Amino acid sequence: MSETTAGRTGPGDGEKRRWRWRPELGLALIVLALGVFVVIGTLDVSAAASQLGIGPRFFPMLVGGSMIVVGLFYVADVLRGGRGDPEESEDVDVDAPADWRSVGLVSGIFLAFTAVLNLLGWIIAASLLFFGLSLVLGAEHKLRAAGVGVVLGIATYLLFVKGLGVSLPGGLLQGVI
Amino acid sequence: MNSFQLLLDGFAGALTPINLMYALIGVTLGTLVGVLPGIGPAMTVALLLPITFTVPPTSAFIMFAGIYYGGMYGGSTTSILLNTPGESSSMITALEGNKMARRGRAAQALATAAIGSFVAGTIATALLVVAAPAVVSFAIAFGPEDYFALAILAFTAVSSVLSRSVVRGLASLGFGLVIGLIGIDQQTGQARLTLGMDQLLDGVDVVVVAVGLFALGEALYVASRLRHSLPEVVPVGRAWMGRTDWRRSWLPWLRGTALGFPFGALPGGGAEIPTFLSYAAEKRLARGVAKEEFGKGAIEGVAGPEAANNASAAGTLVPLLTLGLPTSATAAILLAAFQQYGLQPGPQLFDHNPALVWGMIASLFIGNTMLLVLNLPLAPLWARVLRIPRPYLYAGIVLFAALGVYALNGSVVDLVALFLLGLLGYAMRRFGLPVAPAVIGLILGPMAEIQLRRALAIGAGDVTVLVRSPIAVILLVLSLLALLAPLFRKLMERRHVEPALPTSRED
Repeated sequence: MSETTAGRTGPGDGEKRRWRWRPELGLALIVLALGVFVVIGTLDVSAAASQLGIGPRFFPMLVGGSMIVVGLFYVADVLRGGRGDPEESEDVDVDAPADWRSVGLVSGIFLAFTAVLNLLGWIIAASLLFFGLSLVLGAEHKLRAAGVGVVLGIATYLLFVKGLGVSLPGGLLQGVI
Repeated sequence: MNSFQLLLDGFAGALTPINLMYALIGVTLGTLVGVLPGIGPAMTVALLLPITFTVPPTSAFIMFAGIYYGGMYGGSTTSILLNTPGESSSMITALEGNKMARRGRAAQALATAAIGSFVAGTIATALLVVAAPAVVSFAIAFGPEDYFALAILAFTAVSSVLSRSVVRGLASLGFGLVIGLIGIDQQTGQARLTLGMDQLLDGVDVVVVAVGLFALGEALYVASRLRHSLPEVVPVGRAWMGRTDWRRSWLPWLRGTALGFPFGALPGGGAEIPTFLSYAAEKRLARGVAKEEFGKGAIEGVAGPEAANNASAAGTLVPLLTLGLPTSATAAILLAAFQQYGLQPGPQLFDHNPALVWGMIASLFIGNTMLLVLNLPLAPLWARVLRIPRPYLYAGIVLFAALGVYALNGSVVDLVALFLLGLLGYAMRRFGLPVAPAVIGLILGPMAEIQLRRALAIGAGDVTVLVRSPIAVILLVLSLLALLAPLFRKLMERRHVEPALPTSRED
C-alpha cells in the first residue's frame, strides 16, 4: 500500500540518494513515534472493562497500532525515494527553496505575541503582531504597515468586545477604551 | 408532516428580517474571505466559526449556510481572475476560466460561474430536500456497528482519494485521530494523553486544530516560499453574458449538477472528482466553436465544473445532516459547529430540531439567491480584494486566527497549541499530506469510538458483532476497496505507459 509518488526522481537518482537523510523522513518518524507514544501513553489508563464491553484503552491501542504500521510504511516509502508533492497555492512558489529565516521570524513573532498578550492587551499586542509579520513577509511601507496594524487592532477589539460580547484582554489600555 | 410542509416552515423561520440579515452577513463574509487567495472554503468556515458563538443556534446555522455557499463562490472568482493554482475544487475552473479572462472574457467567465453555481446550488439543494428524509428513514434502523463501519469508510475513502499517496493520507488521518483521543474519556471519565496538563482535559478544540492546520499552517508555508512577484489580476467590470453564452452554458450546468450532487454525497467523493469529470465530459462533447476554444478558454469548461463544484457542496450536506457523517474538511468543521451547540446531526436531529434543520436548508436557497444578486454586480470589488498586498493579507490571516482561537476560552495555552498545529500544518503542506483527513479524523474519531464500544457492549465483547449486519459488511468491504483502489490505479497506469488523464490534485 505504500505508493511512491513517481515522477520527480530520475532513474539513477534514487539509487544514489537511497540512504541520505531527507527532511520528509523526519515527518515519517514523527508519525511512527506518535503511534508508539499513543500506545505507551495510555498504559496508565486502567481498563475498567467488565460490563462495558471494552475499556478506554481499546480504541487508543487500535489508533496507536495503526499509526505504527502507517509510520513504518511511510518511512519505507521515503527511504525508497517516494516523496509527496508540496502543495500548490495561490501565493506559493513551489520551486523556490525554503526560506527558513522567514519561517523562524514568523514563529518568533507569534510566540512573542502569545507571551505579551495578557500584559499589553489585545490592541497593542495585535497591532505589533500585524506590524511585525507584514514586515517579515515583505511589506515595503513601514508606516503604512504600522497604521493598518493599529486600525485592525482597535477595530477587532471594538467589534468583538463591544459588538459580539467576546472578552479580550485590555492590558495597558484597560479603561482607556 | 411531509418534507415540503417542513421546508415551508423553514422558510417562514428564515425569512424573518433578523435571520435575513444573518444570511446576508453570512454570504458577504463567506464570499469576501473565500475570495482571499490561500483561503479555501474549509478555512473560511473555520475562521468565521467563532463569530457565530454569540448568536442563537437557528440564526447561527442560517449564517453558516451563507458562509458555506459564499466560500464556494469566492473560490471560483479567485481562480478565474488569478493565474495561479489554488484549492483543487476550483482548479479545474481555472483551466478554462483564466484563459477566458485573459482573452477579455472575464465578465462572461464570472457570469457563467455565478449563474451556474446558482442553478446547480438550487437544483442540488432541492435534491437534498428530497433525499434527506429518504436517507433518514433508512438510517433510523442503523445500529452502532453500522455507524462504526460508516466512519471507517469515511476514513479510508478520504485518505485514499484525496492524496496521490495512501500512506500520506493515512498519516494525516492518524494525526487527527490522535488529537481526537486527547482528553477525558466520555464513558469512564479517565484522562488520556493529557501529559498531566489540566488544560488538555477537555481535549483540543476543533477550532484550534482547524485554524492551526489551515490558517497558520498556510501562513508559515507562504512565508517559507513566498512568490515575490505579485500575481497578475485580470481586470473585470460587471459580470454579464450574452445570448450565445447562455446557449452554450445551460447544458453544462445541468450535466455538472448531475455529476456533482452524487459525488458530494459519497464518502471521499468531494468536489475534486466531479469537477474533473465534468471538465472531461464537456471537452469530449464540445462541437464546433467550443471544440476549437477548449484549451484556450471555452465557456463550457467553466460552466460545467463550477456547477459540479456547487452541486457537490449541497450533496455533502446529505450524509452530514442525515448520518452525522462529514465527507469533506468543510463538512467536518460544520459538524463541529453543530457540536458546539450540543447538537448531533443524524436521524434524531430531524425529529428533535426540525425548525433548525429546515430553517438551515431554506436559507441555503435564500443564500444562493443572495449570492447571485451580490456576485454579478460586485465582481469588480472582489477583483480589488485580490490585489491586497500579500504581506498584509497573511499578517491579517494570522491576526484573525489568533483572535478566533483566543476568543474560544480566553486562554494563552490555546494560542501555543495553535502555533504547534500551525507547524504541523506547514509540514503537511511541505510534504504533500492532505489536510482534510486530519480534520475528519479529529471530528469523526471520537464518534467512531463511541459506536465501536456501544456495538461491542451489545455483543458482550464478541468482535463478530461488527460484521453481523449486512450494511456493516458492505461498508467495510467498500473501505477495503478504497484502500486498495490506488494500487489498482497504479497497475492500470503501468499497463498504459502514459496515463491518459492527469490525476486531480489533493485538497
